[in-house]
Amino acid sequence: MLVTKNLAPGESVYGEKRISIEGNVDGTKTEYRVWNPFRSKLAAGVLGGLDDIFIKPGAKVLYLGAASGTSVSHVADIVGPEGIVYAVEFSPRSGRDLINMAKKRTNVIPIVEDARLPNKYRMLLSIVDVIFADVAQPDQARIVIHNAQSFLKDQGHIIISIKASCIDSTVPPETVFAAEVETLKKSNFKPLEQVTLEPYERDHAMVTATYYRHGKAI
Amino acid sequence: MTVTHVLFESASGYAIFEAKLSEDIGSKTKAVADSFFNLAKFGKMVSLMSFSPFKSAAQALENINDVSEGLLNDHLKNLLELNLSKTSKKSPITLAVSDPLLGKSIKDALGFQIDVSENSQNIIRGIRLHAPKLLKGLQDDDLQKAQLGLGHSYSRSKLKFNVNRIDNMII
Repeated sequence: MLVTKNLAPGESVYGEKRISIEGNVDGTKTEYRVWNPFRSKLAAGVLGGLDDIFIKPGAKVLYLGAASGTSVSHVADIVGPEGIVYAVEFSPRSGRDLINMAKKRTNVIPIVEDARLPNKYRMLLSIVDVIFADVAQPDQARIVIHNAQSFLKDQGHIIISIKASCIDSTVPPETVFAAEVETLKKSNFKPLEQVTLEPYERDHAMVTATYYRHGKAI
Repeated sequence: MTVTHVLFESASGYAIFEAKLSEDIGSKTKAVADSFFNLAKFGKMVSLMSFSPFKSAAQALENINDVSEGLLNDHLKNLLELNLSKTSKKSPITLAVSDPLLGKSIKDALGFQIDVSENSQNIIRGIRLHAPKLLKGLQDDDLQKAQLGLGHSYSRSKLKFNVNRIDNMII
């Protein structure tokens, strides 16, 4: 079972189970939240075998396609109080839930804006270590590349969730995944890992890559 | 065209930098990348000319709303005029700006040459990377606090202005 250490103990974000562990020294409790791979593609990617998601304590993460913030809350748990998650979501309806979640987690900066137009939210961002993208748009790769050019540090990492049917439903998923990876390569990304999200999602892949802004090492 | 100055818009306020040695900054070599990463080296390429923090959360929100639409409001216009007009009389100014739209607004209003090339975007990336150190008067986590506050107010304003409260469907 996958869990993250709850940054805001005592509360669930979306009805997920919480597990409390007695501390072994002074009776303090540590609370964990169950991270459901059927609800979160990143969790599915981890269980699907990604060796490294680069999201770790203290990391700065730009999260594109934050939706209601359910996955974002787990990412916030992982990066902890020293890290930060810039959570971009365009839909106002999801944005409202995202903002409410962020009220309890001060390491989440909610950004209700279009991920296609990074210039619109440039005033809110620092340089980040990782970009995670799950925007389920045909031009997702372009969106990620565009954001990386402005905000991703040199040799930072991206993790993208690719839903084959969102990009091209007329060719086999593997062909779509390969084409997306090729697009990334052309924009100075070196692919690292690729896993499918079976059995949690159908025809999805998760790809990680390193950004070599200066074009070397590819 | 060599960039002489850089505009950097942050959640804490506007900063204007003077750029030096910027002609080869755009070149995509490992050496240039490394010197960008190194604050001591990058600090020699740009120097802070002025940093004007926003005076209130309301002012910050007003400014991000204008900046994200590419509008030059009076606050930013006055700031640019105050800092750059004198210099521009001596030698022409080329101002690096993130957004072509805002760049055009500045050019139309103040007549400065604007540069939005990759070279400029590189310098702005460098400033973004080192911003907490380069923006004098800011404590380490001040910028992050400002981003947090402004992120919430900007996002809330986006909800408020969507009067119909209906999603724009994306297919």
